Amino acid sequence: MELNRRNFVKLLVGGAVGIQLTPLPWKLTDDIAIWTQNWPWVPVPPAGAFDSVKSVCSLCPGGCGIAVRKVDERAVKIEGRTDYPVNPGGICPIGMGGLQLLYDKDIRFTRPMKRVGPRGAGVFQDISWEEAIGTLCSRISDLRSQGKPEALAAVDGSYMRGSTMSLLIERLLKAIGSPNYLRTPSFEDTYQMTSTLMTGREGPLACDLENSDFVLSFGCGFLEGWEGAGRILNAWTILRDKALSKKAKVVQIESRASNTASKADLWVPIKPQTEAALALGISHVLVKEGLYNRKFVEEQCFGFDDWTSSDGKEHIGFKTLLLKKYGPEQVAQITGLKPSRIVSLAVDFAKAKAPVALFGKEKGDLNGSLYECMSIMALNALAGKLNQPGGILISDPLPLGILPDFQQDPVALAGNSKPRLDGAGSPSYPFTRSLINNFADTVSGSGDSPVDTLMVFSSNPAFTLPDGGRFKKALEKIPFIVSFSPFRDETAFMADLILPNHTYLEKMDDVVWPAALQFPLYGLSRPVVKPLYDTRHSGDVILQIAKKLGNTIGDAFPWGAYEDVLKIRAMGLFKSGPGLVHYDGKTQTWEDLQVKTALKPDYKDFDELWKTLKSNGLWYRPQYATGAGQDPFKTPTGRFEFYNSRIEQAVSGNTRNGSREEILDAMGIHVRGDEVFMPHYEKPAIPVKSSDYPLQLVPYELINLATSWTPSPPFLMKTLYDNELLKDTSFAEIHPRTAAEYHLKDAQRVWIESPSGKVNVRIALFEGAMPGMVYLPLGLGHSAYDEFLRGKGSNPNDIIHPSKDPLSGMPVWWNTPVRITKA
Amino acid sequence: MEEEHVHGHRFGMVIDLDKCTGCGTCMVACAAENNVSVRPDESDKQRSITWMQLFKISNGKDFPDTEVSYFPRPCMHCNHHPPCVSVCVATATKLDFHTGIVSQIYTRCIGCRYCQAACPYQARYFNWWDGYFPKGKGLDRYLSPEVSPRMRGVVEKCTFCHHRLMRAKNQAYAEDRREIEEDEYVTACAEACPAQAITFGDLNNPEHKVSQLIKHPFAFRLLDRLGTEPKVYYLSSRDWIRRLADNFLPGEYHPVVNKNWMEREWSTKPGRDTF
Repeated sequence: MELNRRNFVKLLVGGAVGIQLTPLPWKLTDDIAIWTQNWPWVPVPPAGAFDSVKSVCSLCPGGCGIAVRKVDERAVKIEGRTDYPVNPGGICPIGMGGLQLLYDKDIRFTRPMKRVGPRGAGVFQDISWEEAIGTLCSRISDLRSQGKPEALAAVDGSYMRGSTMSLLIERLLKAIGSPNYLRTPSFEDTYQMTSTLMTGREGPLACDLENSDFVLSFGCGFLEGWEGAGRILNAWTILRDKALSKKAKVVQIESRASNTASKADLWVPIKPQTEAALALGISHVLVKEGLYNRKFVEEQCFGFDDWTSSDGKEHIGFKTLLLKKYGPEQVAQITGLKPSRIVSLAVDFAKAKAPVALFGKEKGDLNGSLYECMSIMALNALAGKLNQPGGILISDPLPLGILPDFQQDPVALAGNSKPRLDGAGSPSYPFTRSLINNFADTVSGSGDSPVDTLMVFSSNPAFTLPDGGRFKKALEKIPFIVSFSPFRDETAFMADLILPNHTYLEKMDDVVWPAALQFPLYGLSRPVVKPLYDTRHSGDVILQIAKKLGNTIGDAFPWGAYEDVLKIRAMGLFKSGPGLVHYDGKTQTWEDLQVKTALKPDYKDFDELWKTLKSNGLWYRPQYATGAGQDPFKTPTGRFEFYNSRIEQAVSGNTRNGSREEILDAMGIHVRGDEVFMPHYEKPAIPVKSSDYPLQLVPYELINLATSWTPSPPFLMKTLYDNELLKDTSFAEIHPRTAAEYHLKDAQRVWIESPSGKVNVRIALFEGAMPGMVYLPLGLGHSAYDEFLRGKGSNPNDIIHPSKDPLSGMPVWWNTPVRITKA
Repeated sequence: MEEEHVHGHRFGMVIDLDKCTGCGTCMVACAAENNVSVRPDESDKQRSITWMQLFKISNGKDFPDTEVSYFPRPCMHCNHHPPCVSVCVATATKLDFHTGIVSQIYTRCIGCRYCQAACPYQARYFNWWDGYFPKGKGLDRYLSPEVSPRMRGVVEKCTFCHHRLMRAKNQAYAEDRREIEEDEYVTACAEACPAQAITFGDLNNPEHKVSQLIKHPFAFRLLDRLGTEPKVYYLSSRDWIRRLADNFLPGEYHPVVNKNWMEREWSTKPGRDTF
């Protein structure tokens, strides 16, 4: 063939057509599709051996069992365990996102650090563990040699008082010589005081929710993450099923149409801070109509009828107080409800077979009001449903092993005899154990800071405390701050020394009695992966600090590792009686909690208990937690006290500290007479709705936003709607009528201003908001962590105007007067 | 019967909206299981990738009768001429007749987004950018090797955790079985839900819970009248929620529940279901 132009073209075209008939072009296209999607920056997760490690989640006090799937050494997915009696296979969104908290390097401290930049800038330099522990120890030794060991203070946010870490921290302070052990406030504190005062037992809160048929919830955010979502959401399902066949009813009492209120059978919208009045109003109806449990009240309660004390003085009883001051019309005035609603609630409560009145605010990770809790507890008592199936159970703390006593040297003894800086336990606050709000005020007060060194464990008070920024201000004054946080949080940014703890997935630590569980349970988490970085278990670090300080302090901590301490605690469980360390998941635990026969332990000796506890993370006793059946009440009168002996002793027995008037004023109590010692309604200390601040700010919590000391995993940002967070602005929910008064449109930018500060947010119009209120979500407004959280939204804690709860002195954070202006 | 046998399994889901609490665990579980990337700004909902998405609906009533509810929406895996399959230019998505799962093959997808436009449930998501896995940050350390991470330019959607079906089948074959049990293949969202609101199983198998639940009078589907035969069913005792499932003209919606039901003693929310 001649090679001319025509033949050349024929060759090309023929060749092209021919190639179409071969597999070549199709193979190449397919290959190109694959080549163009295999760029090196697209992650290819390495394959490996599949495995699953069982542990316990400790991101909240709920203590759900988790199973973590691994590929070789990498953890790839957290799932709820079906063989753990707390959560039947379920888990909350924060727990589900836990791997991001483990692996996101930008939010963690990878080794000990010391501050090199200005305070708050978050500029640190790596140091070794030896240097870090050495620096802290020399600081403590200096304080002791100067005779000021009490200038050392610690803030602990570990969830349950009685967790092994909290014991060790308090012990360290005591051995050194400082009484200033502080805790971030939680609802468990309020419950502990309520229970101690009215029943003589400390708690913890044990509520048989699953077996109740009428739940009267005074603000408990069941669906907002109250006390442990894994268990509570399952309890919710049980109650839903019963409700559909008319066997149960859930009534939610709060001012806003939260998820819980929307999905409950009845939503009772009352003005914030009036829950105590409603509880007392319901009690009034029970008493007036004779619907209360006479037998229980006559045989086991004190202070119901009018009585005369041994000194001849006449006292009114709880009955008289109720009938006089808390009639339906009076309570309707206070709460904003109709009198008929109050009566119908009382009738329904009395008719139910297993009713429970529950107290709580949102998730329960902040405190409540003491008198309010007492009023609600009194309601349970009047119905005779205390310590009954379906109700609140009188419990005793878990019988964990007690750590041996230790010697204090003269320096320590002197320091420990000094008064606490927060005034907790003092005549003004006789029952509260920790008042971090007072602590902040004392530190910020005039003169030098009385605290030289502050240690911060498992908490982020600079962000989580509802105090209008007062703790942050106090931090600026403290010369030396040490953070044990694994995360680069707001408080750690203010620190001078970082001794980072492992995250919860990298360590062995306990969960003492998952919040509100109705039977005793001890959870033990274990490392799911080897620690990723050069972090150390803070329990081990405390042991190392004690050893380095030596002398009596070292002797107080005669253990080689934190695990040895846990073993002592477990020994207490072993000695306390039978328990179980396995759960097969075939039946739900709460279906059968009545004690019928003696429980047979499923371990033969302590070694087997300890080994299984470490691998399975569980010791429990599936029987109702009731403090010594015959004799539940350990009050001075031996009965459930409507009229509270301990409050009377605290007020009357302190005449050397001032007149009764002065003492009551210091406690923040406005009523007088016998009412002081009984559950009652206290009018708010700060006048709400003044002309300057005509609206009220009520913070609320979401189940899909972390509000405690750990950050929200980035996955959760997907779950927030764009009228909850838009780019970097959070939203305040207000009722359309309220917005109309200020001529505000949906999504408009405004300033929400309180006497303590202001925040710039957008408006979200919501019919479920109570008119006259402003609702801001807690959990946004971080200034630390990384690009997923930093700078997003505003923190209502910055503008909460703190007042003190009467008698307990704890912060009142649920009602701040504010005003709105266009931005 | 024979037709169903030819089609094999028909995997579907029933979501109980009464039990759903709006917690969002299903959303997080899905993202964690399927290597879905999280961008620093997830508030732009036109760009945020959420295979399982939780919608928030309200009954529109004023205080104090306001009620909100939640509504998880995975891919419906439409069983009859899925709109996305009909329009796919590159055959990157197909309805598998053996399982009923509408699959997505990332390497074939050319990113035209025709399927994203066609889907009446807006269940498909386009990767405008590569996944957010900055070097050294560690977000790629928890990725699972069972699911391919996607690059920019491809569409992704819920796959009913198809990799878990593979896992279950491998396990069964290793144990010399051909059939898998009901609890062996569960999607991540159904497994994670703490309120047990999501049930997953084979709609063709009369023993599976889902095939019994769909016969309940409270069961409904989204946009039923489009004829796509979605395999995700919902249960709700509230008429106002069922009413939102389709675009009803006045008079077209027939309440399932007797109007007197709301007046009965235990339903204490007057006005909830009036029209």
